Amino acid sequence: MLKFIVRRVFWTIPVLLVVIFLTFIMMRQIGGNPFRQSERAVPEAVQRNLEAKFHVNDPWYQQYAYYVKGVFTFDLGPSLVVRGRDVNDIVKTHFPKSIELGVYAFLFALVLGVPLGMIAALRHNTWVDYSAMFVSNVFHAVPSFLVATLLIYFVALKAGWVPTSGWTSWEHKILPSIALGFGPMALFARLVRGTMLETLQQDYVRTARAKGLRYRRVVGLHVLRNSLIPVVTAAGPLLGFIITGSFVIELIFNIPGIGQNYVDSISNRDYSVVMGLTVLLSVIVILANLVVDILYGILDPRTRDARS
Amino acid sequence: MSVTGAREEALASGPGAAPASGAPIRQSNLWKDAWGRYVRNKAAAIAGAVFVVVLLYCLIAPFASPHDPDAVNFALASQTPSLEHPFGTDKFGRDLFTRTALGGRVSMLIGFGATLAILLVGVIYGAISGFIGGRVDNGLMRFLDALYGLPYLPFAIITLAIIGRTNTWTMMIALSIASWFTTARIVRGQVLTLKENDYVRAAKAVGARWYRILGRHLLPNTLGVLIIAIFLELPGVILGEAFLSFIGLGISPPDASWGAMAQEGRTVFRSHPTAIIVPSVAIATLVLCANFVADGLRDALDPRTRET
Amino acid sequence: MPLLEVNDLHTHFFTREGVVRAVDGISFSLEKGKTLGIVGESGCGKSVTALSIMGLIPKPPAKIVSGSVIYDGQDLTKLPERKLEDVRGREIAMIFQDPMTSLNPTLTLGIQITETIRRHYDVPKAQARKKAIELLDEVRIPRASERLDDYPHRFSGGMRQRVMIAIALSCDPKLLIADEPTTALDVTVQASVLDLLDDLKAEHDMGMILITHDMGVVAESADDIIVMYAGQVVEQASTLDLFDRPEHPYTEALLGALPQIEGEGIREGRLTAIPGRPPDLIDPPKACRFAPRCPYVGSDSCAEHMPELRELRKGHWVRSAHPSTERAGVRQPDRAPA
Repeated sequence: MLKFIVRRVFWTIPVLLVVIFLTFIMMRQIGGNPFRQSERAVPEAVQRNLEAKFHVNDPWYQQYAYYVKGVFTFDLGPSLVVRGRDVNDIVKTHFPKSIELGVYAFLFALVLGVPLGMIAALRHNTWVDYSAMFVSNVFHAVPSFLVATLLIYFVALKAGWVPTSGWTSWEHKILPSIALGFGPMALFARLVRGTMLETLQQDYVRTARAKGLRYRRVVGLHVLRNSLIPVVTAAGPLLGFIITGSFVIELIFNIPGIGQNYVDSISNRDYSVVMGLTVLLSVIVILANLVVDILYGILDPRTRDARS
Repeated sequence: MSVTGAREEALASGPGAAPASGAPIRQSNLWKDAWGRYVRNKAAAIAGAVFVVVLLYCLIAPFASPHDPDAVNFALASQTPSLEHPFGTDKFGRDLFTRTALGGRVSMLIGFGATLAILLVGVIYGAISGFIGGRVDNGLMRFLDALYGLPYLPFAIITLAIIGRTNTWTMMIALSIASWFTTARIVRGQVLTLKENDYVRAAKAVGARWYRILGRHLLPNTLGVLIIAIFLELPGVILGEAFLSFIGLGISPPDASWGAMAQEGRTVFRSHPTAIIVPSVAIATLVLCANFVADGLRDALDPRTRET
Repeated sequence: MPLLEVNDLHTHFFTREGVVRAVDGISFSLEKGKTLGIVGESGCGKSVTALSIMGLIPKPPAKIVSGSVIYDGQDLTKLPERKLEDVRGREIAMIFQDPMTSLNPTLTLGIQITETIRRHYDVPKAQARKKAIELLDEVRIPRASERLDDYPHRFSGGMRQRVMIAIALSCDPKLLIADEPTTALDVTVQASVLDLLDDLKAEHDMGMILITHDMGVVAESADDIIVMYAGQVVEQASTLDLFDRPEHPYTEALLGALPQIEGEGIREGRLTAIPGRPPDLIDPPKACRFAPRCPYVGSDSCAEHMPELRELRKGHWVRSAHPSTERAGVRQPDRAPA
C-alpha cells in the first residue's frame, strides 16, 4: 500500500516539471520584454539591473532552471508590472478566497449530488428517478453565470435574504458556492446513479443477498463502495473545473479571488503573475489527481497490484 | 442462444462482464438498428428536434428579421419582449431576437469547429498511440497526463494571449487545444480494445498493411464512439467560449457570441435581466440538447444493450 | 417430512415485449441428505427455479404467479422480505455459476465470510474469523489463516468457487442450491469441486439441489433428476431409473441415445446437439413445446395439445406423447447407467 502511494507521488514530479515547462514556453511566446513595455519610464541603469536580477537576458533554459528552483522554494518571483509586489503577495491575499469558494462548492456538490444519485438509482424508473435526472441534466447544462444571476436576482435582490456581492460573512458565501456547485452536483448525481445502477446488476450483489444480508448493508457496503470508485475518478477533473469556473463566479459576486487578477495580468503582460498563478493552479489540479489516484487505490484493491 | 435464454440469463444474472464490443458489426444493421432505438428514446428524439430547430433559427432568423442587428438606438433600449421584439432589446436598443440568432451562429461555429478540431487531433493522437502500443503508447499517454495538469480555462486563455487576437478562428483553436485530451484517451482505449480482437489478428495474419487495418477495421468501429464524443465535447466547448467571452477575453464587439451577449447584459441585469437571460438560456438549451442527444446515441449504439 | 417441497411453481417475467413464462409448473420434494439434479439447456428455467426458491428473482419484471415453496412448514413465496433474509444463508444457501464475478472484488475474503456469520449469529469478530479459517480449511484452501485477508482477485477460479462454498456453509444451512457450480471452471478443477460438494453434503447432512446442463455431473452426484425444457418439467425420475430407461425424446437426445442422431451408445454426459431451438417463452405454443425438434412428432396430438406430466412408472414422470416405452417399432437396448 505504501509502495503504491510512493510510486504515485514519485510520478507527479516529472508531470509537474513538464507542466511548468509548457507554461514557461507559452509565456515566452506572449513575448516582449515586460520591463521595456511598461509605461513607467525606468532609468537605463536600473533597467539593466532589473534585467540582470531577473535573468531576462539569459538563455531560456537557464531561465527555466531558475524558475523551477523558484517554484520549489515557493518563490514565484515579483510582479513585473505592479512595482513592489511579489507574485507571492498576490497569491497570499487572493488565492485562499478562491480556494475557499472552490471547496465550499465542491462540498455542496458532493453532499447534495451523491445522495440524489443514490435515491434515483434505488428508485429506478419511478417518477423520483425521472425528475431527479431531469433536474440534474438541466443544472448540468446551464452555465454557472446564469445560475448565479438568477440566484442573485431572486434570492438577493427580490427576497433580500443575502447580500449580492462580497466575501466577508457567511451569508456572502452561500450563493456563490451554490452557483459554482450546481453543475458539479448534477454531474455527481448522474454519475452516482449510473454506477449504482450498474453495480446493482452485478453478480456479487446477488451473492450478498443470497447470504441473507440485510438490504441496507448490501446497498450501504457492497453497492456503494463499488459505485463510488468511478465517482472518485471524476472528482479529480471536477476540481479543475471548479477552480476554473470560479473565475466567472468571482466576477459576478465581486469576490476578491485570483480570477480578476489573472485576467488583468494577461492584459497587462504581467507574465510572472500569470505564470505563477497558472503553475499554482496546475499544481493544485495535479495534486487533486494524485489524491484521487490514491483514493482509487484504497477503494479498489485490484489497481494496487496492477499498476506498472 | 435463444431470445428467451438470453433474456432470462440477463435478467437473472445481470451484465457484469465487459461488453462484447469486439464482435464484428454488420454495418448496415448497426445504423438502422441504432436509428430505430434512438428515435424510440423520447428525450433524445425531442432533444434532437430542438437542436435542429435552434440550428435553423440561427441560420434563418437574421435573414427573415426586419431589424438591423447592429443598429444602435437608445430610444428603444432595454425593452421587455413584445411582438415587435420577441426577445426584447438590449441596452443599446438592438433587437435581441436577431442578435441571438447571429450570436448563435458564432457560438455554434466556434462550437462545431473546435469540436471537429478536437476530434481530428484526438483521433490521430489516440489512434497512433493505441495502434503502435508499447513504449510509444506509454510515453504518449504520460505526456497526456502532464497535459491534463493544465487547467482548462487558463490554458485556453494563455493560448489566446499567445495568438494575440480574439476572433472566431482563434477561439476555435484555443478551445480545441485545451480540450482534445479526453477524446485522444477514448480513441486510444477503443483502438487498444479492438486491436486485440480476432478479426484484426486475422487481417494481420493475411498480411494486411497497417493503414488498411486502421482504416478498414479499427476506425469504422470507433465511429460510434466518435459520434458520441462529438456531442459530449460540444457542450464543453460552447460553455468554454461562453465563459471566456463572459470574462471579457472572448469575441469583441460588435460581433457577438452568446457569451459576449451575456457579458453585455450583465451590467444592466438588475433592471433588465432579459439581456443576460436570453443568451444564457440559449446556451443552456443547446448544451442540454447536446447532452440528451449524446445519451440517446450512447444507448442506441451500445453493443451491450443490443440483443439478437 | 421433506426438507423442501415445491408445488406447481410458475414464475413469469413481465417485460415490455410481453410476459415471459420462464417457469411453467415445476413440482418436486427433496428429502434431507438427498441431492436433486435439475438438468436442461440454457434458458430452460432451471436457474429461475432456484432463484424463485430463494426469492432472489428481480421483483419488478419477475413475479411468482402461482405455486408454493414449502420449507420448514412455511411457504417461502408468501414471506415478507425481512423474513426471507433470515432464511437465506442460514437455512438455505446458494452458490452461483461464475466465481469470478460472484465475489465482491473490493472486500477481503475475511469480510465476505465473517459478515455472513455475524449476520445470522451474534458472535464477536474474532470468533467469526476463527470459524472462517476453519471453513477455508474445510474447503481445502491452503494456508487459510494467511489468506483470510486477501482479495478475491488473488485467487484462481477453482479456489474462488471453494470460497463461495465456504461462505455458503458458514451458517450450517440445511439445503444448498448449487447453480452450475462447475460450468465456469476448467475440466480438471470441476471434478475436485464436485467431490468437495459431495463430501460436505454428507458431513453436514444437507439436502442439495444441483443445477447443470451437464448430464455427466448429475449422473455422479444426484439421487433424483428433473429434466427441464422451455420452462416445463419434461421428465422426472431417480437417477438410476433415468439413465436406465430414459423416456422423453429430449432426455434421450441429451444422453445421446437416439439412434437417428448418433449410432453409438451413451456418451459420457456430453450434450448432443439437437437441431432447432427452444420456443419463445413469451407466447409459447399451446402444443407440446418440444414438438418442433422431436423426431417422433406425428400428425396427431403433439401439434395441438400439451401433453400432461404423467407417472409412467412408479416415481418416473414424463411429459410426452411418445415416451420410449410406448413407441412401437424402435427397440431400445437395455443399458446400465454410466
